[in-house]
Amino acid sequence: MKKNSVVLLTAAIFLIPFMVISGCSKKDTVKKQLTLYTWAEMFPQEILDGFEKDTGIAINYVNFEEDETMLTKLQTAKGGDYDLIIADDYIIETAIAEGLVQKLDKSKLSNYRNINPLYQGPFYDPRDEYTVPYGAGVVTLVYDPSRVSVNIRGYADLWDPSLKGQVGLLGNYRVINGMALKVLKQSYNTNDTAVIRQAGERLLGLAPNIRLIRDDFLEEELLSGEIAAAVMYTSQATAAKLENPELEVVFPTEGIGFGIMGSFIPSKAPNAEAAYAFLNYILDARRGAECFEYLGYYSTYTASDPLISDEYKSFLTLPAGFNVNMEMIQNIGEEAEEEHSRIWTAFRTAAGQQ
Amino acid sequence: MSRTGSLRRSFLPRLSPALPLYLFTLVFVLGPLVYMLALSFMHREGAWGVAAEFTLRNYQRIGIPEFAGTFVQSILLSLISTVMVIILGYPFGYFMARLDKRWRSRVMLLLIIPFWTSSLMRLYGWIIMFRANGPLDILLMGLHITREPMRLLYSYPAVVTGMIYALLPFMIYPVYASAEKLDRELVEAARDLGASPIRAFLTVSLPLTMPGLFSGVVLTFVPSMGLFFIADILGGNKVVLVGNLIHEQLMKAHDWPFAAALSVVLMVMTSIFIYLYRRLSRTLGGSGELEGLV
Repeated sequence: MKKNSVVLLTAAIFLIPFMVISGCSKKDTVKKQLTLYTWAEMFPQEILDGFEKDTGIAINYVNFEEDETMLTKLQTAKGGDYDLIIADDYIIETAIAEGLVQKLDKSKLSNYRNINPLYQGPFYDPRDEYTVPYGAGVVTLVYDPSRVSVNIRGYADLWDPSLKGQVGLLGNYRVINGMALKVLKQSYNTNDTAVIRQAGERLLGLAPNIRLIRDDFLEEELLSGEIAAAVMYTSQATAAKLENPELEVVFPTEGIGFGIMGSFIPSKAPNAEAAYAFLNYILDARRGAECFEYLGYYSTYTASDPLISDEYKSFLTLPAGFNVNMEMIQNIGEEAEEEHSRIWTAFRTAAGQQ
Repeated sequence: MSRTGSLRRSFLPRLSPALPLYLFTLVFVLGPLVYMLALSFMHREGAWGVAAEFTLRNYQRIGIPEFAGTFVQSILLSLISTVMVIILGYPFGYFMARLDKRWRSRVMLLLIIPFWTSSLMRLYGWIIMFRANGPLDILLMGLHITREPMRLLYSYPAVVTGMIYALLPFMIYPVYASAEKLDRELVEAARDLGASPIRAFLTVSLPLTMPGLFSGVVLTFVPSMGLFFIADILGGNKVVLVGNLIHEQLMKAHDWPFAAALSVVLMVMTSIFIYLYRRLSRTLGGSGELEGLV
């Protein structure tokens, strides 16, 4: 008897949530649901909850880990299934070219004017017809002044012999090879294989200084003292700086590479209205500031900049009068891409033989 | 009529119990292999697409010194790791077989327990160990053997250590299996006839445990070619093995055809190695099978 009641109770515990979900989901979600497709942890929970409460639209948050997964799913769905997608710049270029993105009706976005013009008219959407930027990543140099004797101002300073075995790099070869291209005063996106080859030779000189190359947790290595200087992504620089305010974050004088995350509405979004409502909701100056503080990427809304708290301001907003040459990394030709792979392999191998 | 009838009688009943297995192999082993082979003769299009046009370019690119170098690097690291694993694992397995029964199962359990945690976790353990001012540094500096933190992490020795650690059990078990079967009386006979312990080992024990050692070599050398994540994690991404290159071409460069070509070449190399092993093993009087495991 007792055993039976335990079984029943267990069954009830497992079944009740299903009954509740199946009972209420049918009626009210058909129109009032936003299917948001992006990486995990892109918005603070308060913003998501606030939106649901203010508009009555339920958010169905679907994750991807790689841009490519997103594009494949969007292709399979022929531009349907999702209402709003946030992804990286280069993949949006392809999505637009394949007709999977619909043009924005800006009359539905009263907060559109909050966007920082610096992040408008990007290569993937030159006339700002399809996308709204949501956060920008800037490749920066971060170093511990107490452990470095050179005054690091640009990429070229990383070649200094005093930094032997002290430098950590992120693992994106277009960014790192691009560093050498910038030292040579070239574009990140050159298709000239001879120039890329030259950058590769230049890069070999940096090999003795390299301690490690890694995408994840690079900031931990800087904080623990395993390395003294690093080339890292914005979110990592943010994490490092919050942990140790003594660290120096530098915009390299040669010019910086940056990437924008853009939001867009797929061509056959089931509920485009909900997407507009959400876009406009986060484009609000104060909510935007909250989002960027949570995200740890550069604020792409001018209106949000003054609202970002002082603790974060220095590394989430670009300094006033910022005029370093900025360039976005774009898709390049097959041969150029292959040459990049080659010089990157040569560089890593050389770094390993020190 | 009667022929097809007899064929059906003799062939189908024998085939049918194993049919799901054949289908499984066809779909999940042969299918991906054919797909990979086909992919390796295509070329990349745009940022990560694949164009179905025949080309040999991927195989030509493997000849570029930087890429060919990763094969050399892989074989070298595998050789070094295998030799180290023989030096450490052979005596371990050999003497483990000579322990009494209770101790034998205890030692075996100790060897198995680490496998209950994810291999990635265990690698991170080595990171903690090797870190500047980590336990190893504290110990060595405390004993006044070193004066300042050694920079062990993200170096070649760290990668070799990780490889040895991951591969050691695969040497110990086969050696143990063949040492256990070793007839101790043969060794005693040799000793009675005046052989020194070393001579008895070299002329009796070693040849008789050779099959175990051989399969240990296969079981460590072949997988070691694919353990690229150890080089990633403990080598700070600076030791570029074929596996690392394949991983990078898939995940970062989005050049699937080149990654497929690299994989095909790696598989051919491994197959040649296994073929040589079987030939050598047969000429030495073995069965050509993997002792202790198959």
